[in-house]
Amino acid sequence: MTDEGERLPRPEYRGRVLDAALHLLDRQVQDVHGEPVQTADDLEIGDVPVGESLEGAERPRILAILNGTALSTRVVGGRPPSSTLERIPWRHVADVGTAIRLTIEADDVDATWRERWVRDHIIRRIPGGRHDPE
Amino acid sequence: MILSDLLGVPVTDPAGAPLGRVADARFVLDGPLDGQLAAARLFGLLVSPHTGSSFLGYERRTMRAPYPIAVVLRWRHRGIFLLRWEDVERVDRDGVHARPGWTRYDATID
Repeated sequence: MTDEGERLPRPEYRGRVLDAALHLLDRQVQDVHGEPVQTADDLEIGDVPVGESLEGAERPRILAILNGTALSTRVVGGRPPSSTLERIPWRHVADVGTAIRLTIEADDVDATWRERWVRDHIIRRIPGGRHDPE
Repeated sequence: MILSDLLGVPVTDPAGAPLGRVADARFVLDGPLDGQLAAARLFGLLVSPHTGSSFLGYERRTMRAPYPIAVVLRWRHRGIFLLRWEDVERVDRDGVHARPGWTRYDATID
């Protein structure tokens, strides 16, 4: 173990490094065309057995980007109910930069179902609601 | 598990002495291909002895401006280190516990 003040050893990284809070959380998520889809409120990671030894266990991986009411619970504490979180599987992520870019279209993301429902069932029924403003 | 379950929780050494709080979780894209990117696997936890708040990007070696903010944040996070996931013995309701023989690694990135 190294004492504070000494130069600490640097670990060897065999891939791109992503710090969750720095590179992922609160980033805008964009679809394949660059359309904003949601923000990354939290991450779902592989199971970590609580209270059990992690000896020999595989490193957990990011399974999905979550969107929902996580921001309020991050401020006031607690944990958002899992049922209120929308998830985008990590396999749909194309790149992580200033935004998180997906390989799929916004309409294919579950997180946008409310927006699509309002568009299809309410906005479209309003006269002039089926085309762009002129 | 949800990442928020790990952020801000206390970290202790094998004797139960406090080491700090989890300020961030470091992932590395070093897993098998999962879509277009490699799987992002948890490499370790950034443990800050004095605060569980975010480092706001100043863990980057090159991030030094604005100078006053950099100074304040580096002071708040003085002693921050990386605890590799393989050095974690277990995670329970009391927090994260390091395993005997754990190593304190440099938390900065380029």
